[in-house]
Amino acid sequence: MLEMPLRHAATVLLESAIRIAPPDTREWGQAMCGELSYVDGHWAALMWALGGASVMAKHALISLLIPGRRAGMPPSDELLAKNVSLRKTALVAGAGCILMALLFFGAPPFRQAFRVALRPWYFVFQKASGDIQPRFEALAKRAEVQHDPVGLAFCAVRLWNSRESARLAEEAVRLDPNLLWVYAVVGMRHPELPQIGQWTARLERWDPQNAIFRLIEAESIEQAHSHPIVGSASTEEKERAWRSAMAAAFQSPKFDDYLDRVEELNRKVVPRYRFYDPYEVQSREELDLPPSAFENSQRFAQSLLHSGKALEARGDRNGARDHHWTVARFGQLIDSQGRTAFEHWAGTTLQAMAYKQLQTSSEKGGNQAEAALFGYLAARFDPVSGEHAEFARESAFGRYVSSRNADVVETSGLMILVFSGLLVVAAAILIAGSSVSRRTRPAAQRAKPLATMVVLTSAVGLLFSSVTLYLTYRPYWYIFQGAILNGGRSQARDLRDFLMAAERPPGIPTRLYLLLDSLLYSGSPSFLFYVWTGATLLGVIGLVLILLRHFRGRPSSGGLQNHPRVP
Amino acid sequence: MNTPRISPETLRVLQSFLERPTDWRYGYELSRETRLKSGTLYPILMRLEKYKLLEARWVATQEGVPPRHTYRLTPNGLELAKTQLAETRPRWLVRQPALSRG
Repeated sequence: MLEMPLRHAATVLLESAIRIAPPDTREWGQAMCGELSYVDGHWAALMWALGGASVMAKHALISLLIPGRRAGMPPSDELLAKNVSLRKTALVAGAGCILMALLFFGAPPFRQAFRVALRPWYFVFQKASGDIQPRFEALAKRAEVQHDPVGLAFCAVRLWNSRESARLAEEAVRLDPNLLWVYAVVGMRHPELPQIGQWTARLERWDPQNAIFRLIEAESIEQAHSHPIVGSASTEEKERAWRSAMAAAFQSPKFDDYLDRVEELNRKVVPRYRFYDPYEVQSREELDLPPSAFENSQRFAQSLLHSGKALEARGDRNGARDHHWTVARFGQLIDSQGRTAFEHWAGTTLQAMAYKQLQTSSEKGGNQAEAALFGYLAARFDPVSGEHAEFARESAFGRYVSSRNADVVETSGLMILVFSGLLVVAAAILIAGSSVSRRTRPAAQRAKPLATMVVLTSAVGLLFSSVTLYLTYRPYWYIFQGAILNGGRSQARDLRDFLMAAERPPGIPTRLYLLLDSLLYSGSPSFLFYVWTGATLLGVIGLVLILLRHFRGRPSSGGLQNHPRVP
Repeated sequence: MNTPRISPETLRVLQSFLERPTDWRYGYELSRETRLKSGTLYPILMRLEKYKLLEARWVATQEGVPPRHTYRLTPNGLELAKTQLAETRPRWLVRQPALSRG
């Protein structure tokens, strides 16, 4: 019943394919069409027509790519000759794509993007080797050889190794006493250092009104409290010392985290040493007020507000209001003189706490107008529903965009590696197939068409991945350049969010990553990276096994001799 | 003499031609003998014809039915077919006893 429509469909299909084929191959299309009447079975006829149509379509495509190609031309070995084979065309197109992809490496944004894209893997190997900041250590050595205090200070504020960081800071200050502020920045990063007391004494003489030295001192005492040393001062003495340091911080009229000076260092050192590594220069919250400083401030503020309430209960309303205002003023100080989002957030949170107490105090005193004003201020600075909450929502959206972009960049970088690997394997197969006789390497001969296809698709993939990587990372490169050249900080948060997101493997949400990290390998993300690397390797091995099986399963030219009709 | 790439499928076609070297053969007949589909067979025939190893001609069969294309190896084609099949034979001869022992 279906025979006639199927035969008819087969004829229509083949005739349509003949119409799109180049003139010199139409005769062959007619030849296949002529055989159609003799094919046994209607489905077989349709399959015959499909095969013929694919041949015609292939020639139509070739003639489209190489307009001058004609089947009748005599054979020639010259590349790009008019009768050039499809394989040579594919290889030339692939080489063109590879060349274009390689040209991207000439662009500084692309090189930086590629380093960022490989960051999770780089981090794994750094962790595995125990050499966490090799580039910084090399830079510090260069700065030491050149007796460059600015270079030394630049390394000191970023090194994770606290001892080395302290040594470099002291060397930098010895060479240039104007760099004394480096002690404050290093002290905020490494409050556990034994030199902190000595440093803060010098800093207080140099910049007497700055609250940050007191915060460093308090954190240093807190660290010693958390890790008590035998023979050291008692807990009560430490608590007294801590309260004294925090009280002094809350009374200070100035807050300077020296972030502008750190940025000045960036502008001098990064171009001088060509140290264009956004991770080491711009990423992380290291340049912000450390959370520990905020925790100390919040704890001390709560104790002040609590004692204020106690005074109010005893009828000392003025004394209570002094306590509340101390907290509010310190919050204002951090909020107005701080430079980072975290510092503004910390400052507004302290203000909200203080204004709530002042509102309660005013209500108790019967001053409704004052209570309304403090109520308004408390609501404005509330970390959940106030102005800062809007900022939090905006930054959450920014983080979402940065996270997506980081995934794209990481995947593109990974795909560049995968396609490069495939290209190397395919090129090796092609070279093996060309340089040895067919007898010795029949498998290489058989694999040549597949290898050619792999070369072309991998080259296209390589180019596509390179373009994607370049275009996605380019805005971040401009942000980084802006920050280095003219201290632009308008989008520094976006860059930091992006860089932090790019540190975890693509496709893993931050929460899951942190959860797995804490569950599987507390303190280091290496385990996750190893798991991810293992999964990738297993996938590659599986692919190789499938390919090997494919080649072994195909009949070899020698196997043809099993045919009984071979003479 | 320029020769095309000799794939295992091409060898099968050459071998089929060698069975009756002087006969003109139809495409469908070759397809059945070699068990190659049209999408594989015809590019081989086209390539052999391009390298002057194969000659083709149209023959009319019945009225109302399209003419058929027929093929035969040229002397160069015959020489190449014999050479290629002879080259691949020794390996088969070595392997054959082991394969046919059971």
